[in-house]
Amino acid sequence: MRRAFVWLGLAMLGLAALPTAPAAADLEKVRVSIIPIGDVAPLFAAVQNGYFREVGLEIDTTPSAGGAAGIPGLVGGSFDIAYGNVVSALLAAQQGLDVKVIAAGTNVTDPKLDATGIFAKSDSGIKSGKDLEGKSIAVNTRNNVIWLYARAWVKATGGDPERVTFKEVPFPQMEDAVRQQRVDAAFMVPPFSIVAAQKGGLGKVGMPYSDVQPGVDVGQYVTTGKLLATKPDTAKKFVAALRKGVEWYNANLTNEALLTLISGYTKADVALLKLAPVPTAPSRTDISQVRKTMELMIESKLLPAPLDLDKIVDPLAR
Amino acid sequence: MDGLEGLRNDRSSRRADPNDRRAYGFLLLAVLLLFWEVSSRAGWIVSAYWPPVSHIFAAAIAQLAGGEILLSLASTLRRAAIGYVAASVAGIVLGIVLARNRALRYALLPLIEIVRPMPTPAVIPPLILLLGVDDALKIFIVAMASFFPIFSNTFAGVATIDDTLIQTARTFRTPTVRLLARVVFPATMPAIAAGLRTATSLCLVVAVLSEMIAGSSGIGYYLVETQYAMRPDLMYAAVLYLAATGYALNRIFLALEARLVPWMGRS
Repeated sequence: MRRAFVWLGLAMLGLAALPTAPAAADLEKVRVSIIPIGDVAPLFAAVQNGYFREVGLEIDTTPSAGGAAGIPGLVGGSFDIAYGNVVSALLAAQQGLDVKVIAAGTNVTDPKLDATGIFAKSDSGIKSGKDLEGKSIAVNTRNNVIWLYARAWVKATGGDPERVTFKEVPFPQMEDAVRQQRVDAAFMVPPFSIVAAQKGGLGKVGMPYSDVQPGVDVGQYVTTGKLLATKPDTAKKFVAALRKGVEWYNANLTNEALLTLISGYTKADVALLKLAPVPTAPSRTDISQVRKTMELMIESKLLPAPLDLDKIVDPLAR
Repeated sequence: MDGLEGLRNDRSSRRADPNDRRAYGFLLLAVLLLFWEVSSRAGWIVSAYWPPVSHIFAAAIAQLAGGEILLSLASTLRRAAIGYVAASVAGIVLGIVLARNRALRYALLPLIEIVRPMPTPAVIPPLILLLGVDDALKIFIVAMASFFPIFSNTFAGVATIDDTLIQTARTFRTPTVRLLARVVFPATMPAIAAGLRTATSLCLVVAVLSEMIAGSSGIGYYLVETQYAMRPDLMYAAVLYLAATGYALNRIFLALEARLVPWMGRS
């Protein structure tokens, strides 16, 4: 038995000596940091259908498990483009980082297709923000878009966000946290919200995005001003190819091929993905929506003063 | 009472097979796993992230067939190994030098003691700016974490060398470098080995941790990925592979130690 383990261990050490994959040549390589969720499906669709290759770009996606790697990696030079949420992008700009929005990522326009929501136990009697005063809501991290819109929803439904506690719980653990009463409610996103709704015992009491700001621009692709200045053609080509990907995505919302694509990079089961309505993706960033988000951030004391959005949202994105 | 009594006692205790005692450990594991299986199937614990153990084993076998888990493991091991080697060289050299040279010790020891308690997750975000998000970052983190046990053990080991050894070498007017290489280093090897053994399990843990926070490949990233994909069976199976790897590495180390430092345990 002992011998077996020693040999097994040596074999594993042998594996460690395996060479890493070689790089491709000819096409211009663009490193994009993504979060492996449904939002970036148009990007993967564009890669799969060869739209980037057509314009001479090779997209090297690097998934990040948490938000920690995205914008710091972008600013540090590890990535050329990063996918992130609007709140993080504005916070980065406010702190003087050279961050520019170049393409739209996700928005929430149709309440019927909004699978996100505030979930609470069905027998808890929580129906509005007012009911949550003195109680707790789970958000994945504080000071991001989820936290901001959870607060805005509490306020919009008659509650005082200052009297609600926001606890950080990663998305996969939110359902368990609510069921075991570690938190009273949670702002969940698909596929976790879908699965929670399926199992019974939890009810959706509100949809912060749709209730507070229909049309909200939730996620965008950002890059550095330096890239825009030194490689403007690369940026233009990226946005053009991405837009083709968005068009394909929107034309194939109910196509199994799309679900297979998403399952590929998220590892989620296709059967699970089928349960959620697939929302449309935007081609352009709506600057008026970003402005509304900015105002919410100022109200929540996330930003001290308004930012010049015309400088932050590049014309490429509009 | 004669001097052979110790030997006689030794022989009788050796009759009780050491493998018997290890069997108890595995028995306990089996009981706990059975408890897990029953609690999941009988519904004592209801959660998407508490699958029955049988599902986990099935997933583990399927993963082996798919091959992806081995690639992830290989990539984690590669980073852990490089960081470990870097930390060993730095830890042993600095441990010996600082223990023997007072000036360098006064200069560098405070810095080392200040950096030591910094927790890894806190250090990663500023390091991303300096080192990027690729292997350089993770290898550095592994090296940083593994350095301290190796350094401390080496340092303490050198400080507690039997002075007779040093004095004897001095009577032969041994030059400093030869003294360090042929007297100090071999005498410190048991202490160094202890530090290296601690660092062995540590480097694997820290490599996985760094991948969970800022990774895109490896077992740590795989764990987070399967969590978000709602595949807890794959996640726990990866944890099993990780545990098996850690155990195997430790046993390799002990085997190597017995061969290369046979004077371990005897002063």
